[in-house]
Amino acid sequence: MKQQNKFSTGRHQEQAAGEQTAAANSGALEFQSPEELLRHDAAQTAVPPEIARRLSQSIAESPPPRRPWWRKLLE
Amino acid sequence: MESSMNQACTEAQSTAAAESPLLPAELSALYDAYSRAIYYLALRFLGDSQKAEDATHDVFLKALRHLDQFRAEASARTWLYRIAINHCKNVRSAWHDRHVLPSSDNEFIERIPGGDSPLRILETKELGDRIQRALDGLPAEYRLLLLLVSDQELSYQEAGALTGQSADAVRGKLFRARKAFAGLFAKTE
Repeated sequence: MKQQNKFSTGRHQEQAAGEQTAAANSGALEFQSPEELLRHDAAQTAVPPEIARRLSQSIAESPPPRRPWWRKLLE
Repeated sequence: MESSMNQACTEAQSTAAAESPLLPAELSALYDAYSRAIYYLALRFLGDSQKAEDATHDVFLKALRHLDQFRAEASARTWLYRIAINHCKNVRSAWHDRHVLPSSDNEFIERIPGGDSPLRILETKELGDRIQRALDGLPAEYRLLLLLVSDQELSYQEAGALTGQSADAVRGKLFRARKAFAGLFAKTE
């Protein structure tokens, strides 16, 4: 939807398809925009499992959140 | 409010497998659904994997502590992005204020030779490093915009709301950011 395709005409689409095929045959990757490249990069980037472990530890060690003073009045 | 967060969590649960059973239920669903997006934003915005780990940890901890501030009209994704952007900007500015001279973004970006042909990658081995070097060459605002709009779930309007500008302003800046990124990326070969 957001993606702006440079190759809007049929001839250009054929040209793009041809380039992608050539690129694929040569083992190369081709991206039409930086966003496309970043999406590929994001998909290849794994979240280190260490973060979830650290989060769990931080939550266990942190005190429970303080209740607002006014909430006591309502109870 | 609580019900909206429960709904967000339910939506998140439906799109993500349970990967973090160690976390409390209300955070686990959010983490499973959005940790990749938040970690990637932090990684490429800060340019350092250790800082990105710390930032992702801090963002989700803040989110858990401020679940009651989550507003029904916001999506969980944009809410987490907002926390992440503020956090990463603070982390970055602390270092950059000490080490980098400020320059006008527009002047800077005009000096970068643009590129508008498709980005062709022959070697994927060091692709992450090349992307990082190209992003590092962009002004922070352009880098952030590119990272936000690369998330297909975010509209230009949402990216604009997250960065305090209109969708039209986002479009205009993205045009320049794309050209500058392509030019910088070509130089990394």
